[in-house]
Amino acid sequence: MAAEQSAHSEAHETEQKAHTSHDQTVLLGRTIPFPIYTVVFGILAAATVIEVIISTLPKGALGTAILIALSAMKAILVVLFYMHLREDSRIFAIALGIPLFIAAVAMLFLTTVPPGSY
Amino acid sequence: MTDTTLEHSGAHADAHDAHGHGSIAQRNDNLKMATWLYLASEVVIFSVLIAMFVVYRLENPARIEEVHQASGVLLVALNTFLLLTSSWAMVMGLHEIRKGNRKGLMRWIGLTALLGAVFVAFQYVEYSTLAHEGITLYSDAFGMRFYAPTAFHGAHVIVGVIWALLVVNHARRGGYTAEDNIGVEIFGLYWHFVDVVWIVLFTVIYLI
Repeated sequence: MAAEQSAHSEAHETEQKAHTSHDQTVLLGRTIPFPIYTVVFGILAAATVIEVIISTLPKGALGTAILIALSAMKAILVVLFYMHLREDSRIFAIALGIPLFIAAVAMLFLTTVPPGSY
Repeated sequence: MTDTTLEHSGAHADAHDAHGHGSIAQRNDNLKMATWLYLASEVVIFSVLIAMFVVYRLENPARIEEVHQASGVLLVALNTFLLLTSSWAMVMGLHEIRKGNRKGLMRWIGLTALLGAVFVAFQYVEYSTLAHEGITLYSDAFGMRFYAPTAFHGAHVIVGVIWALLVVNHARRGGYTAEDNIGVEIFGLYWHFVDVVWIVLFTVIYLI
């Protein structure tokens, strides 16, 4: 009976640790006491603030490149972590990736080829 | 203590369950695949609308500058924060139901719906401001290229808010558990996609 109770409380403790571990994130060797989703949200919010600041500065090629890069980073973070593409089957990534690739090629074509040429 | 990897849902772990739960895992995977294929079709539609704007933007930089000066970026930036926060609330709701916390799910998805509704309200305010400046759907070439992607996105947000309320209602009736929450995950995929589209629209239309 005592052995049973001990095993039960050990299982309960392990379960609690597992839940606790979901509410912590290890990032670059540091333990952050928030779930990964909150950490990602913090990064997204910070990136948005930076974007808004850059947009108020005189626009140039560098500013535009940074804005596009930040936007891409935010989109990738949401897709990988919030949409769980990191852990799910690769076929889901392919299902998303193919139209994205085609759209990117089409966009490149439309923006670089002069209108009279097609 | 784990790393940044989230523990995968129980669906795949059930694949070899002797009580025939492999079919549940298969069903869940099929549902997710169908959702991703639907999102792929949405990528095509939004890409066309965004391309339409980008081509116009490259050919008419002065008009874009004019509109940016007239409308400002503050309201739209606030809207972006609302949508990002709603996305975080959505995934926290899924996180909670995976721990078996039904009430937590309801609170977080309720917050998602609320933030989505406020987003739509602020977008209406933005449209009213632009209309006051003379920028409407048919006012000039810019009007159609601006309203088409943003309004189409807004329609998706409205659908998402209604869907979120249905998820909350289903949760209230005990429809989701720690083992069976694929409905929440599917809604999450849709909502996060809507957020990703806004991330792109915000940069392309309002910032660059």
